[in-house]
Amino acid sequence: MNNIKTIDEYLLGNMAPGDALLFDANMLLNNDLISDMEHQQNTYAVIRQYGRKKIKEEIVAVQKILATAPQHRGFMHRIANLFKKY
Amino acid sequence: MAMNNNRLPTVEQREAFFMALYKKAFPNVARYVAQMGGSLEEAQDIFQDTLVIYYEKVASAQTEIIVNEKAYLLGIAKRLWLQHYKASNKNQPLNDFDTEVVPDEQPATGKILHYLETAGKKCMELLRAYYYDHLPVGDVATLFGYSGTHSATVAKYKCLEKVRETVKQNSLTYADFIE
Repeated sequence: MNNIKTIDEYLLGNMAPGDALLFDANMLLNNDLISDMEHQQNTYAVIRQYGRKKIKEEIVAVQKILATAPQHRGFMHRIANLFKKY
Repeated sequence: MAMNNNRLPTVEQREAFFMALYKKAFPNVARYVAQMGGSLEEAQDIFQDTLVIYYEKVASAQTEIIVNEKAYLLGIAKRLWLQHYKASNKNQPLNDFDTEVVPDEQPATGKILHYLETAGKKCMELLRAYYYDHLPVGDVATLFGYSGTHSATVAKYKCLEKVRETVKQNSLTYADFIE
């Protein structure tokens, strides 16, 4: 599976120090490796954005339950009242 | 409700976790935002981002024990409110909490995300479970129906490769675009 696993271990700090040193040396000699590593870093950024988007959707769903379910009406009413005082 | 060993593998467990935090901490946050002249909608927006930040903190392996959850959440919310108050663009509240190293050359993430959400949903969910929710490989295997941790790990790398290829293709297009 080419260098995916190696770069994963390197970027996430799961590589043994000796292997990491070897990886650093390889990067000096191999432009493709640098490029793959940059793309993989960008991939983690995309995964994090995706994760944030999805977790926020879950939080918004919880907020919707609070706003609509009868058993939470008292709670939401008390919250809404806080904004009437100011 | 405390996270069980920082693990919340299912949507239902996360729902219960967030619901408990709403009940526990939202009144204080709403009171603060109201005192600062904000609206209920703003308080809700701030609290959503507060929970995202808190979730990321507790899900990551390096979390220290948070003694007073309520005060901690109010602290995050206050920081976000001050940021929100200062920033003209309200869509940037999470940026200061971005502590990971982000490479200089950003991919055209909006476009890639949209594509991956549709064409690569299963892979993205798998990768999210590993890298964002920080679930142990055993949990990921169970959640996604793999026979064991080895198959789940192989699937993770395959997905990572697939998404990296998409990012690579897109970065090239993006670079060509701005030349």
